[in-house]
Amino acid sequence: MPAAANIEHSPRRMQLTPATPIAVLSAIVLVCVPDLARSDWTLGTDAQLRHDNNVGNAGNYANIVGDTIVDARLSIFQLFPIGENYSLSVGGDLGGEYYDRLKGLNNASLGAALAVKRKWGLGAYVPWARIGVSIARSDYNDDYRNDMAYRATLSAGQRLDERWNLWSEYGYERRAASSQPELLPGISGDAYSQTSQKLTGSAEYALNERAFLVFGFLLRYGDVISTTEPGVGIFTVARAIAADPAFGPEEYAYKLTGTTFGFRVGINYSPTPHNLLGIGFQRLDTNADGGNIYTNSILEISWDYGF
Amino acid sequence: MGLRLLVKVFAAAIGLAILIGARTAAAAALHASVKDQKGKLVADTVVSATPLDARNAPRVQPPVLVIDQVDKQFVAYVTPIYVGSKVRFPNNDNIRHQVYSFSPAKRFDLPLYAGSDAPPVLFDKPGVVVLGCNIHDWMIGYIYVSETPFFSKTGSAGTASLEDMPSGDYLVKIWHPRMQQTEEATSRRVTLSTGTPVNLEWQLTLKPSLRIPRVSGAASPSYP
Repeated sequence: MPAAANIEHSPRRMQLTPATPIAVLSAIVLVCVPDLARSDWTLGTDAQLRHDNNVGNAGNYANIVGDTIVDARLSIFQLFPIGENYSLSVGGDLGGEYYDRLKGLNNASLGAALAVKRKWGLGAYVPWARIGVSIARSDYNDDYRNDMAYRATLSAGQRLDERWNLWSEYGYERRAASSQPELLPGISGDAYSQTSQKLTGSAEYALNERAFLVFGFLLRYGDVISTTEPGVGIFTVARAIAADPAFGPEEYAYKLTGTTFGFRVGINYSPTPHNLLGIGFQRLDTNADGGNIYTNSILEISWDYGF
Repeated sequence: MGLRLLVKVFAAAIGLAILIGARTAAAAALHASVKDQKGKLVADTVVSATPLDARNAPRVQPPVLVIDQVDKQFVAYVTPIYVGSKVRFPNNDNIRHQVYSFSPAKRFDLPLYAGSDAPPVLFDKPGVVVLGCNIHDWMIGYIYVSETPFFSKTGSAGTASLEDMPSGDYLVKIWHPRMQQTEEATSRRVTLSTGTPVNLEWQLTLKPSLRIPRVSGAASPSYP
């Protein structure tokens, strides 16, 4: 188990410092929004209020911490037609998350994305496929979690008719964070860097002109971070361990390999053509090394605005 | 001198008679009212009247019409036109659109364009043309290409009027994008005569409105 006496927690920087570059960029983008909305760019914003009953992915009931999170994002992209059936989209997004209890997890992120999409024909009902790459920088209040995320995705789908819209996505993600000091010799402190693969599938079913249901499944394999108090069951299988003071002074983040199964159901409603309100529920079940099992139940309320 | 005056008066009288006669012959009218299965007034219904006597079909120079694109929507949603008309599709948005149709009545594709760059499209076959934008899947519009020059479209009050039609027998029918019955099933034979407008009412069974949502959520990868 980690020797608490040797732990050197990263200094918690609650000032504006960690997020300053992102904050400055955010301000620039937000100031420019009215002009961008009138240019050949497409803008979207979304905000979400969600409650995750197990933010730290703890398996032990005593270590489970739930929290309510508000996140908001502004995305922007430009579309370039290339050839008859291909299009290239280039854009980025700016977002932030606010945690009600776990203030150290508050973060801002800035990302860029590039994707090529192919449609097999004209119109809304033809199959399509898209390959995309993205990069994003996230700055946390507790900056030991700061990371760069690199993603590659391959997605495909088809709107079958006016009621049904189906798609699926495979994604590979690498999150690179700074390695933390080793708590024990020979055990890596790089607990916040993760590599994972994810397969998702979604179906939308229109109830009427304004409302549609969403069903989704998720299968994820790769690194998971479980934050909990020290324990033999998790310590022996962890590939990396680091202090996680965002959850408390005696909490540690353990990097494990795990498989997550999940599903999501939701309903969305458009009060106006530009707005979409949604409510959804997600359930995630993770089986990690050493028989470490944890679950997450997430209730979400969302708002999307398309310019 | 007197003879000349008599000839002038006679000519003027004949001209006036022809003018009045022509006006009278074209003074028949038809008023249509459309409701749905719940009794609600139905807008965007095309009412067309085809004269059964071909001589009552005037020669009309098909105009060039405009279907606009504003706020990523077609304006108007339903546009009736006379066969042989040309339609321009100006883009009043500040992003580019790719307007297309693969309806049998007219297949066309206007590659991505901005402003008024796209050439007008000729609609030379009667029928319904469904419009879309290949970039913005929710954009949908309809052109009803009428084989007769006598047509109109119901407004928000669910009514439409066809005025100044020659007296005679007509086949009147209606069309709406969501109607369940066929257009032929709505047809009625009517006789129009001067000074006596004919009032017709229809009750349509409309299919549910299931337009593709404009904002599909941040989780949806289907756009762009």
